[in-house]
Amino acid sequence: MTDFLQNNGFLLVTMVQQALLAMSLYYPLMCGQLSLASPGFYALGGYVAAIIGTIEYFAPWRDSLGWVIFPLEWLAAGIISGFLAVLVGIPALRLRGIYLALATIAFVEILRVVCLNLEITGGAIGIFGVPQLFESRWSYIWTFGPLLMLMLFFSYRLDRSRVGRAFKAIREDELAADAMGINPTRYKVLAFVIGAVLAGVVGAMSAPFLNTWNARQGTFDASIAYLAYVLIGGSRSMWGPLLGGMMLSALPEILRPLKDSRLIINGFVLVFASIYMPKGIAGAVGNLKNFTTRILGIGRSEK
Amino acid sequence: MTTAQFLQNLLNGISIGSVYAIFALGYTLVFSILGIINFAHGAIFTLGAYFTYTLAVGEFGINGLLSGLTLDLQIPFALSLLIGSVLAGMVGVLLERLAFKPLRTRGADSLLALVSSLGVALVIVNAIQYLVGAEIYTFPSQVYGDIKPAMMFEVAGQSVVVRTVQVIIFAVCMVILTLLGYVISFTRIGKALQAVAENQTTASLLGISVDKIILVTFFMSGFLGGLAGTLVGTSFGIAGPYFGVTYGLKGLAVIVLGGLGSVPGAVLGGIVIGLAEAFVPPDYSAYKEAVAFAFLFIVLLVRPQGLLGRSMIQKV
Amino acid sequence: MKRSALVTLLLTLSVGTVYAENVSAPIHIGIGVAQTGNVALLGQEEVDGAKLAEKYLNANGGINGTPFKLIFQDTGGDEAGAINSFQNLINRDKVVGIVGPTLSQQAFSADPIANRAKVPVIGPSNTAKGVPQIGEYVGRVSAPVAIVAPNALKQAMKEHPGIKKVAVLYAQNDAFNTSESGTFQESVKKMGLQIVTLQKFQTTDTDFTSQVTAVLGANVDLTIVSGLAADGGNLVKQLRQLGYKGPIIGGNGLNTAKVFPVCGKYCDGIIIAQAYSPSTKNPVNEAMAAEYRTKYKSEPPQFTAQAFTAVQVFVEALRKVEAVTKKKITQLDLAKVREELNKQIRIGTYVTPLGKISLDQDGEIHQENFYVAKIKMEADGKSGKFVFVK
Repeated sequence: MTDFLQNNGFLLVTMVQQALLAMSLYYPLMCGQLSLASPGFYALGGYVAAIIGTIEYFAPWRDSLGWVIFPLEWLAAGIISGFLAVLVGIPALRLRGIYLALATIAFVEILRVVCLNLEITGGAIGIFGVPQLFESRWSYIWTFGPLLMLMLFFSYRLDRSRVGRAFKAIREDELAADAMGINPTRYKVLAFVIGAVLAGVVGAMSAPFLNTWNARQGTFDASIAYLAYVLIGGSRSMWGPLLGGMMLSALPEILRPLKDSRLIINGFVLVFASIYMPKGIAGAVGNLKNFTTRILGIGRSEK
Repeated sequence: MTTAQFLQNLLNGISIGSVYAIFALGYTLVFSILGIINFAHGAIFTLGAYFTYTLAVGEFGINGLLSGLTLDLQIPFALSLLIGSVLAGMVGVLLERLAFKPLRTRGADSLLALVSSLGVALVIVNAIQYLVGAEIYTFPSQVYGDIKPAMMFEVAGQSVVVRTVQVIIFAVCMVILTLLGYVISFTRIGKALQAVAENQTTASLLGISVDKIILVTFFMSGFLGGLAGTLVGTSFGIAGPYFGVTYGLKGLAVIVLGGLGSVPGAVLGGIVIGLAEAFVPPDYSAYKEAVAFAFLFIVLLVRPQGLLGRSMIQKV
Repeated sequence: MKRSALVTLLLTLSVGTVYAENVSAPIHIGIGVAQTGNVALLGQEEVDGAKLAEKYLNANGGINGTPFKLIFQDTGGDEAGAINSFQNLINRDKVVGIVGPTLSQQAFSADPIANRAKVPVIGPSNTAKGVPQIGEYVGRVSAPVAIVAPNALKQAMKEHPGIKKVAVLYAQNDAFNTSESGTFQESVKKMGLQIVTLQKFQTTDTDFTSQVTAVLGANVDLTIVSGLAADGGNLVKQLRQLGYKGPIIGGNGLNTAKVFPVCGKYCDGIIIAQAYSPSTKNPVNEAMAAEYRTKYKSEPPQFTAQAFTAVQVFVEALRKVEAVTKKKITQLDLAKVREELNKQIRIGTYVTPLGKISLDQDGEIHQENFYVAKIKMEADGKSGKFVFVK
């Protein structure tokens, strides 16, 4: 077991981390908003943690607070990301569908160029020597794992709350929701902010996990990867992004023995997964569950 | 800013812009019909350049499966360009059949097409690397005959310069735009295309084979992509398998700015972004990369349908 | 108090028991460089170099008769990929040491992993400040830019004593070129010259007309370009095509024959500061360069030579480990070999394709010779060579 964790610990934690990032796309999607801004907030959160962890100004804080500085970094990253999300979200969320997706991609790209040019973010080299919370990579499961549990619990509750129902009402029919007294803008911004805060906190946890932080962390490529997680996983329930993020982030590593051709196969898997699992992995699992319930009488169907 | 400097910036902007535009033409064509973004366009653009290179030059480098291979086909550049672009068009057709059609027939979420086309892009890019390595390939300098590398003008005692190959790309861009405009507005197939873009169900009721039109669109998109890839390749060299993919992001900004699905919009969008970048003062060159996206963000907020797009009533 | 208990618990959970195991034969040396992704252009050159070293050094007896085998684990172009590659090499492939990763940013991410696992790392191409300081198990054979760059400037001044106004251009999204350009800018100021225009671009850019016309407008006597082969080569080509006549200094990113096809005949005359010269006179380099020429029909690039060197340093240090312990490596415990190997790497000098080098206690390379070359293109504009002026 310990051998297994030594070998695969980093990958396992990465899977949880990517699942969390996929979930950060899920909240805006709950009210039908395709936002790809997560890599921007992820990068921002990482910078917050890396800066607090390394620059001279915070040295007395680090010395007197010890490990408590880490949760404070998460908190700071969450607050700053949330604040920026409100600023960006209010104008951007008037857009819909692909237009919103493109506006958020633009946001990620602008943020990347700004980070590349600031002194405090270390330019192209970035920030290195980020202080560590744990010795082994696997131990970082103790930060990402509880966060995942928390977010699953949160999503479960949200799904069944008044806010969650408002989100879904907006997704199904915004005009009708508006007519029923749900303020679409407010709820859309709220969903966007939840996703942004989550991505920011994940970023803050990731800076020590990756040892270093730079502008390459928040890019268009990442936006597309997270989108693939959600779509391949399934966008209709919280299990979709979870499964999609875990499986797709593990895929290139599972294919490692194929050497030079591993990314070719990875591409084929994406094509076939999107064709043969149109409702995502979660949808396919759901179908299987329905099947067993109906035919074999096993399990209990929810609806 | 002197007149000469202004003119120089103007030329620079058009020069960069025409590269963006020529990339975006095929990109926007698929959107106009299917309403989806084809993430594999950058990869087909790259592939077109490699096809033409293989036919016209055919000398491979030191990495990949085909390393050390020399195909001395001696096909003239113009013919290679044509064949290469046709091959790229056929890859476009294949792409539609493999990655788009199954999703359409299933009535799946149209966003899934983003993922499946992304998958195809990943396959193409890595297959190129697997075969010919990640190295830089270039076309011989005399592919356009014996032309001067640059043109120079005198304006008020100061010189204004432009690279000849950029003038060629701009000219080709304009020719394609005119041809496409003619095909779309005045031919049967073009009218069918418009009808399908407007409403697929109505079009099929009118007896138009929607499936055929979609295939034609993908062929044209791939053909234009391959052609553009080669032309850009003659200007800058083919800088590895990711060569076209790097235009993908800027290309998105271009087609949105021009109006998603609008062919003249793609050209206008490319040139507007090129100009915006060219007029960034030299001291702020570090932020040039962000200009296109700042522009995109603002345009989206002010006029989401883009410069030449029609406003649409949307339902999410 | 509470925390230490928690940490102890987590450590026992995660580290587990470390048990002794012997080194396998053939001895595994790991290569973790970018074989896919958009830095594969650089990574491929390193793979070539490592393979040449494997063949050459095994033919010369390996480690006192025991052959060694290179294990390749692709890092891709990102940080997480580098960590995955290193984890695989350390835990699964049980390598004695690792050559890699390709980028400095990846080094800052993956090297701490190897350092904590006490596995020696030699960076073949990490030139950023702070890489050897990551930890006691981290070293490099790529000389930091601060040492290499100023030589080219001196050469340009020697050829064109009238230089006063300088244009500096660099790829701002690339760690290597950013820090190299910083060094160039400092040296320019130190020599009393004036930077009249400073232009930034991206390694993914291809059109440089704006930058070039800014340079032309500023009427400079010298242009310094820090970029990689594709972007830097295009920049040089466009500078020349649009009418720039003055001297050009290219950074280390242009120190590869890959730049020849990009700028063609316009490459002619670029002054380049280098850490490697294919015509270095010593048996190792001559053997490597000859092999490379027969196999690939061109001159070996610097990254190839540096990757070769990194493997060579490992092999020679392994030989020294056997001499010190008076045992065969394969009879020794893996952890012990890694520790002793790391010590031996930092002792003594190596005669490598890079010339005579040594690594200090920090793991920083000390290289005897640096070179300045000028590119000389053939009349056909296709092939060319580096002519060494220093």
